[in-house]
Amino acid sequence: MNTVDEILDFAIDQEQQAADFYEDVAQRAETAGMKKILLDFSEEEKSHKRILQDVKAGEHELTPEQEVLDLKISDYLVEVEISDNITYQDALIIAMKRERAAYELYSDMAAKVPASHLKEVLEGLAIEEAKHKLFFEAEYDERVLMDN
Amino acid sequence: MNLKDLLSPFFVWQRAFEKPYTTMRPIQDRPGAAAYRGFHINIAETCIGCGSCHTICQNEAIDMVAVEEFAGRPGDSGLRPRFDYGRCCWCALCVDICTASSLRMSNEYTWLTRDPTDYHFTAGVDETSWQENELGYRRAEGYRLFPEKRVEMEMLPADESVNSFEEVVKGYSEEQAKKEADRCVECGICVATCPAHMDVPDYIHSIRDGDYEKGLQLMYRTNPFPATCGRICTRRCETVCPVGIDGEPVAIRWLKRFIVDQFEAKDYQRILDETITDNGKKVAIIGAGPGGMSAAYYLRKKGYAVTVYESQQTAGGMLRYGVPSYRLPDDDLDKDIDYIVSLGVEVKYNTRIGEDIKFEQLLKDYDSVFMSTGLSVPSNMRIHGEDHPRVLSGLQVLADVANGRDPGIGKKVAVIGGGNVAMDAARVSRRYGAEVTILYRRRISEMPADEEEIHESQEEGCIIVQKAIPVELVNAESQQQVSIRWGEAEMVDDPKGGRPRPVLQEDRMHTETYDSIISAIGQGSNLDYISKEMHEQLEIEWGKFTPGEYQHTMLEKIFVGGDFANRTADAISAIEDGHHAARGIDRYLNPAAYIETEQQVD
Repeated sequence: MNTVDEILDFAIDQEQQAADFYEDVAQRAETAGMKKILLDFSEEEKSHKRILQDVKAGEHELTPEQEVLDLKISDYLVEVEISDNITYQDALIIAMKRERAAYELYSDMAAKVPASHLKEVLEGLAIEEAKHKLFFEAEYDERVLMDN
Repeated sequence: MNLKDLLSPFFVWQRAFEKPYTTMRPIQDRPGAAAYRGFHINIAETCIGCGSCHTICQNEAIDMVAVEEFAGRPGDSGLRPRFDYGRCCWCALCVDICTASSLRMSNEYTWLTRDPTDYHFTAGVDETSWQENELGYRRAEGYRLFPEKRVEMEMLPADESVNSFEEVVKGYSEEQAKKEADRCVECGICVATCPAHMDVPDYIHSIRDGDYEKGLQLMYRTNPFPATCGRICTRRCETVCPVGIDGEPVAIRWLKRFIVDQFEAKDYQRILDETITDNGKKVAIIGAGPGGMSAAYYLRKKGYAVTVYESQQTAGGMLRYGVPSYRLPDDDLDKDIDYIVSLGVEVKYNTRIGEDIKFEQLLKDYDSVFMSTGLSVPSNMRIHGEDHPRVLSGLQVLADVANGRDPGIGKKVAVIGGGNVAMDAARVSRRYGAEVTILYRRRISEMPADEEEIHESQEEGCIIVQKAIPVELVNAESQQQVSIRWGEAEMVDDPKGGRPRPVLQEDRMHTETYDSIISAIGQGSNLDYISKEMHEQLEIEWGKFTPGEYQHTMLEKIFVGGDFANRTADAISAIEDGHHAARGIDRYLNPAAYIETEQQVD
């Protein structure tokens, strides 16, 4: 992966994989409510994919200079195993951790690339993932940590 | 007639060409005095439409009229005062009583119009030239027609309360209750805000009249848990009480308690005098908490044979096992529950649906089922080390205490959380002699616990550490202890406009060792008794039901209510859910009665 297009193709593929992952977990979920939530997550990933496709087509620009709030909630939570009776708390932890891993991947890649358009794109992708992580962390803060 | 008289009309004519003494405008603009009681000004945005002005007006010169732009505002009736200047005598009593201090008078006193209906006007809504007038009558600073401070409630001193489970709040005497009842302006805004829509002004009025039996009867119309709610209600009514705008709200909760405290449980049958005619239909209720027992009461009154299935050995749900007796003594909870049971409600204790009886069996055996099993499963923090044996759940600690078991917390305890369960777990721990530290991620002002509970926990010696985020639990040197690593937080504004969010500061971490860590960060529902197929058909989002009208689910026989079916998760909302579901079940099982009634209304 040395070109911007290759990186974007990789990122688009990652978003599709994430969407497929949530659809797969949704199929296994026992309750209708959780199915719906997981399918919503899947739709969220598809919307990320569309944004990246627009970036590739030159219709949208990534903004690497933007600061994104990091609540650091997922950093200290234990890993969750995917099961048929997955709870909303579990689903959010999985989502937060996936977004965090993606953020770290692009950040590490950007750190290894000399200043260039490619570096900017990688930094932009990292920012996008940080935004997604914030979305799920804010949701966790609101709905799971209600009394805390 | 002499000659002078005969000629005098002609002499008058000589005046016709002189400059007249009268002026074209007989009344010169002369401003009223600075504190003149002239035409009314109302700051309609500040006004909440309590109608105190209307009530106090001796000339019946004020009507309350609906103003569309204020309709539906929380704590606002949506009405505004409309003045009739054919009746007003400018006594200014309306200004003196105004709870929101929105009403005043200008020093304007002349108003000429050809249309007499103009003299009916809604101040602050209809355009007038004096609305912005700086001068005119204002209520003097500090002058009120009712005391701004509520009658103080006698409480057990903190140094005594921390050593016992005796009830902390002593209750009003008759003299105190009447004095406090006199502060109520009977506006009824509280009625709209109370989830159960209790008839607050009228039962407070019954205290003024000394007719406590009537007060009890009024309360049972909408709430069969008055002894309980008189002690632990979240009292949203008081948050909108207009007397609280410039002073302290009327102590509605304590007045409710006062009425109930006037009677022994044995008096209830005589006072409430409820005749029940069986209608031959059967309803099963799962869960004997406030939601389930409220539904049981109102269904039984309509003649249904009601059976309540309860997994515990006593009824009350979270009121029994989650609220300690220093806030709600068992005897008072029993007063409410025993009366409901005395009407012929059958309660099957120690019976768990899904284990002892299948849910599907209930659906076969009964005409309808009301589910109200609440939020009984403590949420996990999901941080490393949470499975340490010295990490306890707040709910379990409270349940142990309710069952008379020593919760085994040790002498140095940290409680994680900021809700009522956290506060109660902390206060219970103090009563077992522990030093207690409460760690909370946000600030005290953002704690979901009742403000009074937070204050009382501090009075009893609990230390609240704000903006403290637990990140890990680790083994301590002694197996009887556990260490917690927590970090300080900075509050950061949410860019999307939500409440400020705590952000962990990794350079400010702390480690402390305790005998127990009590986790009380929230609760979830346990719906294991429902089959997968049924889950698919019931509307459940974020672990909570989203029932339709009258608490009805998508499955025709099933109704739901209580903490797992509403957003507020408090007793009064559960009670209303139960009442509402009872109406829904009756409509479902007895539709003909409602069709006839609705046709009559039409």
